[in-house]
Amino acid sequence: MTTSGRLAMLALADARFPGGGHVHSGGLEEATHRGVVTRPEELREFLFGRLHGTGELAAVFAAAATHSAAGGAGRQYWLRFDAELDARTPSPAQRDASRAQGRGTARAGRVAWPSSALDELLAATARPHHATVLGVLLGGSGNGTPRDAAAVAAYLALSGSASAAVRLLGLDPFAANAAVTELGPELDRVAERAADTVGDDPADLPAPSAPALDLLAEAHQRHHREEVRLFAS
Amino acid sequence: MKACARLSVECDSRGDSVVRELRSASPLTLMPRPAARTGGKHAVVHLVGSMTAPLGGDELDLRIRVGAGARLLLRGIAATLALPGHHPGGSRSSVHVEVDDGGTLEYLPEHTVLTRRAEHRAELRVELGARARMRCREILVLGRSGEVPGSLRTSTHVTRQGTPLLRQTLDPGDARRRASAGHLASARVVANEPMMWGSDPPAPVSGDWWSLVPLAAGGSVASAVAADAVTARRRLAEAVRGHPDGTELAKEHW
Repeated sequence: MTTSGRLAMLALADARFPGGGHVHSGGLEEATHRGVVTRPEELREFLFGRLHGTGELAAVFAAAATHSAAGGAGRQYWLRFDAELDARTPSPAQRDASRAQGRGTARAGRVAWPSSALDELLAATARPHHATVLGVLLGGSGNGTPRDAAAVAAYLALSGSASAAVRLLGLDPFAANAAVTELGPELDRVAERAADTVGDDPADLPAPSAPALDLLAEAHQRHHREEVRLFAS
Repeated sequence: MKACARLSVECDSRGDSVVRELRSASPLTLMPRPAARTGGKHAVVHLVGSMTAPLGGDELDLRIRVGAGARLLLRGIAATLALPGHHPGGSRSSVHVEVDDGGTLEYLPEHTVLTRRAEHRAELRVELGARARMRCREILVLGRSGEVPGSLRTSTHVTRQGTPLLRQTLDPGDARRRASAGHLASARVVANEPMMWGSDPPAPVSGDWWSLVPLAAGGSVASAVAADAVTARRRLAEAVRGHPDGTELAKEHW
């Protein structure tokens, strides 16, 4: 990979990337309110389950978007791609969180890595899903492979919840960080599997789900309306 | 064992829903209720498991077609036990549904229990015409009380005139994934009911471990998780009642 490619991947995965990811806990805030995550080991197990549902779905679509962006996909393709990811995200709270981060990432990414692929995507939808944008930013600028994009998407599915845990529970930041890094081999396997499906028609891409996490996301929204919450999701 | 059962219901010239094709294939036995008992406006068929199935090696297919304007209620009679059996490769069951313009399908099987060492794959594919309605219930019980469940992969695809409304696959995986609050939160029972039923809830409705959510491209899904089947059914029923047509959907009306 070129040096600029490596840098694009690192910048997208960086918590300081100005894409608006810091306001999302990925269901962790609701999990802490229910007392099901209170300690670093419980955080690690929460992240493990998150990686294998939401994280895997993001990885699959980020990898496929990278491949399609590099292949010059047009507006019609992205409309279909967007509808397929919507159909795999039944929770409106999760669709909103994904599109909010997608829009933020696209705005920052358009300045950093402009490409005709990104223009095509934004012509199809002004608020694309987060995973789609990650893939198009890497694939459209020639800065990353499908597997890179899958790894970034899967990592971001974990790192946001982990840093939220530090703020919500006052967890030891070293322990919270280790809860993420311990999942390294698992994350590699998820990214590798995601890269295997990139040639598939969007309708045939995998559709992993995590029923309890979907319910936590909806409960978070309900409580968000009723009382003050720190995070948007 | 390989089995393929077929069921087709159409609207006749008087507007009654009549069974046009009914082909049982053991263990998928289809038992129609006499029209005299149902009033004729809708067809009611019971799905009876006439043998112990699915066992490892079984491939069970059910194909359902509901013609334009016709109404079908297909109801399960007893829980299905997915068992390991003597043949390798696990068991597979698939249900393919087509509902034509203005048709209605209610597919309400009883729960599927995944026993120890079972390897079961299930798939439901529904293609809806314009203004077609459907509800399909799925209740999965991951192991009998105190039992470690085998492996499962169950997929649901609902499309309307080619547009995807819902695609999801549940793979509860190993004990670690089932226990994770970010996945199944130790639930033993997972219940789901997509409802493409004319009107949709304007906003999500939710409670503890259940929700009713509007989908992006139309339709909605009620879902619930619980430690036991009775609680899961109660939570699912609560979610269904949140639908604009919840009173109609909650009634055992046929």
